[in-house]
Parts: sequence; C-alpha cells; structure tokens
Amino acid sequence: MPPDNTLSERYRSHVDELASALEANDAVAFRGAFDRLRGELNVELNPELKRITVSAQDALRRFREQARLEVLADQEVPDARRRLAHVVKLTEEAAHRTLDLVEQSSPLVDRMSNDAASLLEEWGLHGSRQLAVSTLWPERACENLERSLRDAELVRRYLSQMLLAQGYQDLSGQIINAVIRLVIELETMLAQLVALADSGDTRRMPVLKLDAAAEEALQSRGAGPKVPGVAESVYVDGQDDIDALLASVAGGPR
Amino acid sequence: MSNAMKFLVVDDFSTMRRIVKGLLNELGYSDVTEADDGNTALPLLRNGSFDFLITDWNMPGMPGLELLKAVRGDPKLAKLPVLMLTAEAKREQIVEAAQAGVSGYVIKPFTAATLKEKIDKILASRAAA
Repeated sequence: MPPDNTLSERYRSHVDELASALEANDAVAFRGAFDRLRGELNVELNPELKRITVSAQDALRRFREQARLEVLADQEVPDARRRLAHVVKLTEEAAHRTLDLVEQSSPLVDRMSNDAASLLEEWGLHGSRQLAVSTLWPERACENLERSLRDAELVRRYLSQMLLAQGYQDLSGQIINAVIRLVIELETMLAQLVALADSGDTRRMPVLKLDAAAEEALQSRGAGPKVPGVAESVYVDGQDDIDALLASVAGGPR
Repeated sequence: MSNAMKFLVVDDFSTMRRIVKGLLNELGYSDVTEADDGNTALPLLRNGSFDFLITDWNMPGMPGLELLKAVRGDPKLAKLPVLMLTAEAKREQIVEAAQAGVSGYVIKPFTAATLKEKIDKILASRAAA
C-alpha cells in the first residue's frame, strides 16, 4: 500500500481537474479528466499491468529487430521450398531409373528362361520317348549358354545400377531433415508471437530454443546435398573439381 | 589379398550403408562392417584392425570430419586410409577434409566406377609409400 502523501501527490491534480470540470459543468473536460484519473489508477494500482505493457512493447520491438526473422523470410523459407521440390525430383528420377532397369532386365530373363525351357523340352522328349534329338541340339545348346552368359552379365550390371539408384533415399532424407529443423525454428517463433499476443508477457513463453551445445552440434553437421538454386557458387562442380581441389591443398590427400 | 581387406562403412542412413556394402562386395571385398555414426565407429576402429574406412560427413552424434580427426590423432589409427563419401560438396569443406588428412573424397551421387577408382588409387599410393 502506497503511503498517504504519495496517493495525494499522484491523484491530487486529477481530482482537482475533475472537481473543476464538475463545477464548470464542462462535460468534455469532465470525461477527459475522468479517463486520465482511471488510467492512472489502473497503472498505479496494477503494477503488474504496467510492467507487462512495457515488457510487451520491448519484446515486440526486439522481435522485429531480429535479423534472423528477415533471413528466415527472405532466404531460408524460399530455400526450403526449392529443397523440397528437389526431393520430389530426386525421388521421381530414382523411381523411373529403377523401373527402366527392371524393364531392361525382364526381357533378358524371359529369353534366358524360354530358351532354356525349349532346349530342355526337346531333351526331355528325347529322353522319355527315345526320339533322336536334332543333330543340331548341342550347337543350339552351346549358343544358348553363351547368350545366357552375356544376358546374365547384363542383368548383373542392371542390378548393380538399381542398387546405386537407391542412393536417393539418403540425399532426400538429409534435405528433409534440414527442412524439419527450419520448421522447428519457425514453430518457435510463431509460439512466441502467439504468447505475445495473448498475455503480453514474453517471460512466460514456451521456448523451444535449442541450447548452445545443440546449436553448435547442428553447425558441425554440414550443409547437406547441393540443391539447384540454393547457394550454388560455393559448391564444387563434380568429382574432377574435387580431385583438383584435393591436389591443390598443401600436401594433398594422405 | 584384396578379399581379406577389412572395411568399415560409416553412415547414419542405413540405405547408404547397404549400397556401399553391396558395391564393395561386387568389387570383391566381402569383409564389410557397418556403423551408423562416428561415436559407434571409433571403438570399432580401435579394437578392430580395419584396413579401410569409408565415412559420410553429415551424421548426428560425431560427424565424419571429427571422426577423421580422431583417427588421424590416434597413433594406432593415424595411417588408416580414410575415404569420405558424402553429399557435402562445398569447396571449403573439401579443403577442410584435405587439411585434416582425408585420403580421398567422393561426392554423392556417385558411380560404382568412381568408388572403385578412388579405392584403387588410395591403395596404390599406400603400397607405393
């Protein structure tokens, strides 16, 4: 409770104003003085509200000034869009590549199987009914085996390429994880804005901020795969570029 | 002799570990162990007498660059051939890896031929040294 003389100091002038307006029958002046008195009462009798008002204004100002907000809006969110579009492209290309290899392999396997089946059938007829097998059967069998050898080698190569084509999962996974981290940051900022609008008290906001150690760990993780349209100039152009770069570093690779 | 070489493949994405293991098998290297992070890899290396390390960079616990530095900093492991196989393709990163003592660097996406070439190159320079 504020001591009496403070009360008088604070409100004397307002009360006097009110009284004068009343005496003069001046409705406008009366309402004005009344509002000022009420305002003063609200602020003084509720120090919490005063602190919140100041704190909210301060927080909003700091929020606007955050350079991070600008970077997010101007750069990182558009980058995120490009990254995700790239993921769609990567997965589509990988799926088509794999399907192509399947389509290339199927006829080879079919041919190997059909040729072997027909030769075996002929041999089987000979065996079961003692029919003379065509004199050309050994030559045909040899030809067939040679072709099967070639076809099998091709299928093996296609299978190896199919193996490599699955590499999209790692790349797209890394890109998606990076976008998830961005979404977490945006989520935090939105939560702060909502809390600001609700209570005006930034101290009570839920903070999803990463602690300093986690932040640092994220930094050393790396930037992820090169995505078209995202900071292209800092990336190497391909494996040859890398070999040249490695060789140029003092001492070269060990 | 090449069949007896012991490889350690480190990547936090299981699909990538499978792909590299499959490619190494095709090249004739059947002794391939997997680890999902630098933290799990280091004790394996220290206890394991591996002949070749292939590692990603971007991993959650201990990234590849730190694993490389730990390997080069350990007298028992310092001479181990280390090939980085990673999507990290910024010039400054490659320079950083080279300065930390990487033996070779391959970026994703890569071809089987490139992987073979780099492994052969590293082994050849080891043999010559």
